[in-house]
Amino acid sequence: MNGLNHLFLTVGPARFRLASSWQEPLDQLASLYKTYPASYDDYADFTVRLEPEKPWRRFVRPSVHISGDYWLPDAAPLPLSQSLLAAEMGMNLQMALGWRRHLLLHASSVEKDGKALLMTGLSGSGKSTLSAMLAEKGWRFMGDEFALLNPDTGMVHSFPRLISLKNEAIAAMQAILPINRFGPMMKGTPKGDIRHIIPPLNAVNRMKETAKPALLLFPRFGYDPVLRDMGKSEVFVRLTQASTNYVALGETGFRALTRFVDTVPTKAMDYQSGEQAEEMIDSLWSKLP
Amino acid sequence: MSQLYRAATPNKLIQHPLDSMTLIFQKSSGITHIVADPVPAILEVMAEDTVTADAITHRLSAGFDLEESADAADIVLARLVELCSLGLVEQVDGG
Amino acid sequence: MMRNAQPLVDALREPETVLSLDGAGWTDLISIARAESLIGSLAHRLANVAVPEVIKPVLDDAIQATDLARLQALWEADCARRALVPLNCKTILMKGTAYVAADCDAGIGRSIGDLDIMVDRAQLPAVEKALLDAGWEWVKPDPYDDEYYREHMHELPPLIHRERDRMIDVHHTILPLTAKPTPNAQAMLDAAIKLDSGLYVMAPADMLLHSIAHLFADGDLAGGLRNLWDIDRLVRQFSQADGEFWMELGKRAKLHGLERHIARALRLAAQLYDTPVDKAYGGPAIFADNIYIRRLLARDGWGRETRKFTRQAFYIRSHWLRMPPLMLAGHLWTKWRNT
Repeated sequence: MNGLNHLFLTVGPARFRLASSWQEPLDQLASLYKTYPASYDDYADFTVRLEPEKPWRRFVRPSVHISGDYWLPDAAPLPLSQSLLAAEMGMNLQMALGWRRHLLLHASSVEKDGKALLMTGLSGSGKSTLSAMLAEKGWRFMGDEFALLNPDTGMVHSFPRLISLKNEAIAAMQAILPINRFGPMMKGTPKGDIRHIIPPLNAVNRMKETAKPALLLFPRFGYDPVLRDMGKSEVFVRLTQASTNYVALGETGFRALTRFVDTVPTKAMDYQSGEQAEEMIDSLWSKLP
Repeated sequence: MSQLYRAATPNKLIQHPLDSMTLIFQKSSGITHIVADPVPAILEVMAEDTVTADAITHRLSAGFDLEESADAADIVLARLVELCSLGLVEQVDGG
Repeated sequence: MMRNAQPLVDALREPETVLSLDGAGWTDLISIARAESLIGSLAHRLANVAVPEVIKPVLDDAIQATDLARLQALWEADCARRALVPLNCKTILMKGTAYVAADCDAGIGRSIGDLDIMVDRAQLPAVEKALLDAGWEWVKPDPYDDEYYREHMHELPPLIHRERDRMIDVHHTILPLTAKPTPNAQAMLDAAIKLDSGLYVMAPADMLLHSIAHLFADGDLAGGLRNLWDIDRLVRQFSQADGEFWMELGKRAKLHGLERHIARALRLAAQLYDTPVDKAYGGPAIFADNIYIRRLLARDGWGRETRKFTRQAFYIRSHWLRMPPLMLAGHLWTKWRNT
């Protein structure tokens, strides 16, 4: 048995132990997460493992197999050059399959004045890029992957992992952010080109602060700018699809989600540029009760 | 003897209306159903009784402005079959 | 770093042993317990132990998860019951679903996957048709697998419900027809106990014997720690409830040809979990038991299986147990042609 190196990461309310056959992804993580709280006691909610598919694949065309406390049998391995992505996917997987303390919505979230804006939608909707952009314009970044909805209080908890930019969004953010905010460029991943950004320092320092959900948007990039109302049934169904643990939470999930749909104003937002989206969001935000 | 039906008891269901549809969370399965009219009304008039489809149609026409007709009876019967397959309503042996 | 699953076994047997764990120890223990599908059982066992504050939510998550698993399993059983009502046949729940339906201690915190039921072999075609009519479908319509299952196995090819996405395995006995012991399925059906729901579970001795047969016959001892935990819970509950239990168990073991299995399983359970075993079955561990124990504990603190080699040996052996050698060759040949 090959030994594993490891490190601990704390993101929002979750603590991870990342174990790897290679030092490379751990060094990358340590550098990108260096502003995050350090582990002082070695407790973790989840273990993620990055290991070669077969023992010899540690050295020969190394391929990283993602597993851990929770895993999917059909997850394809990634080349070692994409091991950072593998680590991030591994952490997402633990949350998606194992976390039950909150209702997980596949959504980005940003906060202002104690209120949260959530953005959800299919891959390519721009929810991640929009949250990264707003984070540089006076909003507090809360997360680009999962919004954690507390079933008891209805509040949104922050889960500010590295922001994952894809394809065209990478160049757009490189134009406005210094290079030391970026992780390594990973070309040709199963999701296209990917490059991570380190969230702003205030997002990390304030990651224990919750926010009251105040607006939900379904952004759609590449269409003439328009805001549309959505029926509550449609919103409910789409949020059950956007949640990784709605079914797993049972009645708790049902109560949390119906409360959310009943109380949070929701719009579909088509847009063609970041500036357009920002204008529409500011206008909606200023009219909130 | 016509087929008798009985709804899952109300304390096993949480109904939550949303615009045109109604959500029904079924506590015994953990499944969320999303249903349209007249399903919530059917469950309401069935209450905790053991009833026939005709009796349900009759109660609907009395309480919900539904005209008692052959069409209405067909609709009620079709919904009952669906509700049985979901376990929200169970067929009960007569006698 | 924990080198094997012994700390999990210790925690289940004697919950206070966790009081000596530090943070790293807890993280190892949680990973091992998740990998062995024993996290829910562990969480319940630790309910009255002063665990660290940060561990409580982890254990609460596990309790919630198994609560839901219980609910879903009972619902799935009820769906099968409704589909099979017109046949008026005995539907016997098996394994995890049976434990929760009969409120056995073995069901507390247990993870439950597919629904397993057993029916009279003569009823199989009717059961199959009723399930297909009620929305279950074949998982993989491969004619070879289909034929293989029907000729040699103790169950129908697996079915999955097209809306609920849950699997059902319909058995007509508890071991493959090609396996050496041939338990008396009819006797199990006859002795089955009716629950309020109208579904059945096996009588106590048969239920325990099925768990034991499952430990050795199914696969490569994977999941063996959980299986032996089931056995421990069943033995404790049944032997306390009924003074005649051990005698009955002996009779049923003989009837089903499972006497050797039962002796080994109880020795292993006693060694791991201190299971109280009647003197007719006790006795010191024999040398071969150690190989089993090492295999059962082969899991490190990262949650990884260790001792891959021992594991492989067990896997090949498990195939031999189930099928006569010539049939095994034919099986591999047909599989090979298909790939």
